[in-house]
Amino acid sequence: MPGLSFVPQVIVNGILFGSMYGTAAIGLSLIFGTMRIVFIAQGAVIVLFAYFSFWLFDKLGIDPYLSLIPIILVSLLIGAAFYYGLFKEAAALKDRIGSLLIAVGLMFFLENFMTVVWTPNPRAVVTSYGFYAFNIFGIHLTLTRLIGLLLAVLATVGVSTFLRKTLMGTAVRATSEDVEASTLMGINPDRVNAVTFAIGIGLAAIAGTTMATTYSFDPVYGFEFAIKALVALTLGGIGRVYGALLGGILLGLIELLGTFFVGAGWSQAIVFGVFLLTLIFRPYGLFGGPSEKV
Amino acid sequence: MANQLLEVKNIDVWYGDVQVLREVSLQVEEGTIVALVGANGAGKTTLLKTISGLLQPRKGEILFTGKPLHNLKPQDIVDRGIIHVPEGRRLFASLTVLENLKLGAYIKRARTNFDQSLKRAYDLFPVLEERKNQKAGTLSGGEQQMLAIGRAIMAQPKLIMLDEPSLGLSPILVKTIFEFIRTLNEQKATILLIEQNINQTLKIAHQAFVLKIGKIVMSGRGDELLANEEIRKAYIGERVRKQ
Repeated sequence: MPGLSFVPQVIVNGILFGSMYGTAAIGLSLIFGTMRIVFIAQGAVIVLFAYFSFWLFDKLGIDPYLSLIPIILVSLLIGAAFYYGLFKEAAALKDRIGSLLIAVGLMFFLENFMTVVWTPNPRAVVTSYGFYAFNIFGIHLTLTRLIGLLLAVLATVGVSTFLRKTLMGTAVRATSEDVEASTLMGINPDRVNAVTFAIGIGLAAIAGTTMATTYSFDPVYGFEFAIKALVALTLGGIGRVYGALLGGILLGLIELLGTFFVGAGWSQAIVFGVFLLTLIFRPYGLFGGPSEKV
Repeated sequence: MANQLLEVKNIDVWYGDVQVLREVSLQVEEGTIVALVGANGAGKTTLLKTISGLLQPRKGEILFTGKPLHNLKPQDIVDRGIIHVPEGRRLFASLTVLENLKLGAYIKRARTNFDQSLKRAYDLFPVLEERKNQKAGTLSGGEQQMLAIGRAIMAQPKLIMLDEPSLGLSPILVKTIFEFIRTLNEQKATILLIEQNINQTLKIAHQAFVLKIGKIVMSGRGDELLANEEIRKAYIGERVRKQ
């Protein structure tokens, strides 16, 4: 048994790492909630934005937190383009298999595209302050990971506020509950879906910057990441914004504590074991009753 | 003819390979209550869905204030001034009463007059104001129907189409709902009403159309049809005396 004094450190790392899963899971939850699309390409998109961040830093020397602003703006446009270009028909037909296949195709395309453009070698954005860390009660906290957590929390609060306080957000929730009834209110479902997709991809941009600044990544890392985000979503319960973030954090904890106590190989088995047990015993997630809404 | 708000002209509507409406024509005069009656499966709901753009006619045309409507999307039809309160009310159960009302006023034209419309809805149904922060799914059946009608008037429609507003309500509530429909009409709203409750419907309707297996088989003033023997036998369920 390794030294138990490391456990607090592992817990903190799990929370910091898991918040990135959480950000991705919120995006998946929104896209599934309104359009019933399992957007498996989310991970590949996150890696794509990590490359954007890397590329802007490497070529132009732009700080990753500064480049996050234009990357988010671009990501919103990409999200709307994904909807109108790829998913509109499948969403209108409520064709889950069709949309899943499109998402898988998009994922493979992005993986190969990134491999050609940026090579399969792992990359990371290494800034001058990348190794800056605080020491609190003997726990080592790197600045970039803390910023990652902060961004995840801000994104969660932002999305939740948008959904609850704005008319468009209310329309998103209404559409996720009953598309036909919402069109009878004069709501254009395509616009709602495009906005939702844009926000989902915007969240991927935030996760991408965190990934680039805190870990190394390669073109095919996205698939595993998307699966983990789906697990986080299942833990949190589809349709709960805060639940998705908590699900991500919980997953990060399970993963890192599992690695610490029983080793990396077993850790993955535990993650998916918990996933299956949740599906069997708490199919609506750990944090409440049925809700397949946004 | 007086001022026709809505004109349905010879429409044919199909669900896949099945024809549901055959050469249906109907007129709704401004400021009136028009009833559409008929047995289950006659095509009443289909006709409303076609007017609100959820279905497209294969043949024929629909004019609203003289302009064609049948090629527009549902959201644009709402914008033109037709609101459809569908069967089963279809409220957003997980949203609050107030959020449902806000979505009723989603279109730009209605948004600018939101405060007035909200006051009007609350004046008509004070219970909605009392329960504004409650989730719509927690309301009773009668309150849900009030919310459905309240949500409809938030869009400031010229024509309100109600599909079976009394469905599943107790007889007392049914009476209340009919009074509300009459009040709405007195406030200058034009109403197209589908009802199983034919007796009460024909009493308040200025004009009525009888739909049978996809065709309009009879039309006339509400009180005329109410007096019609055939109608009474077929739809009101008065027993035919055995000879």
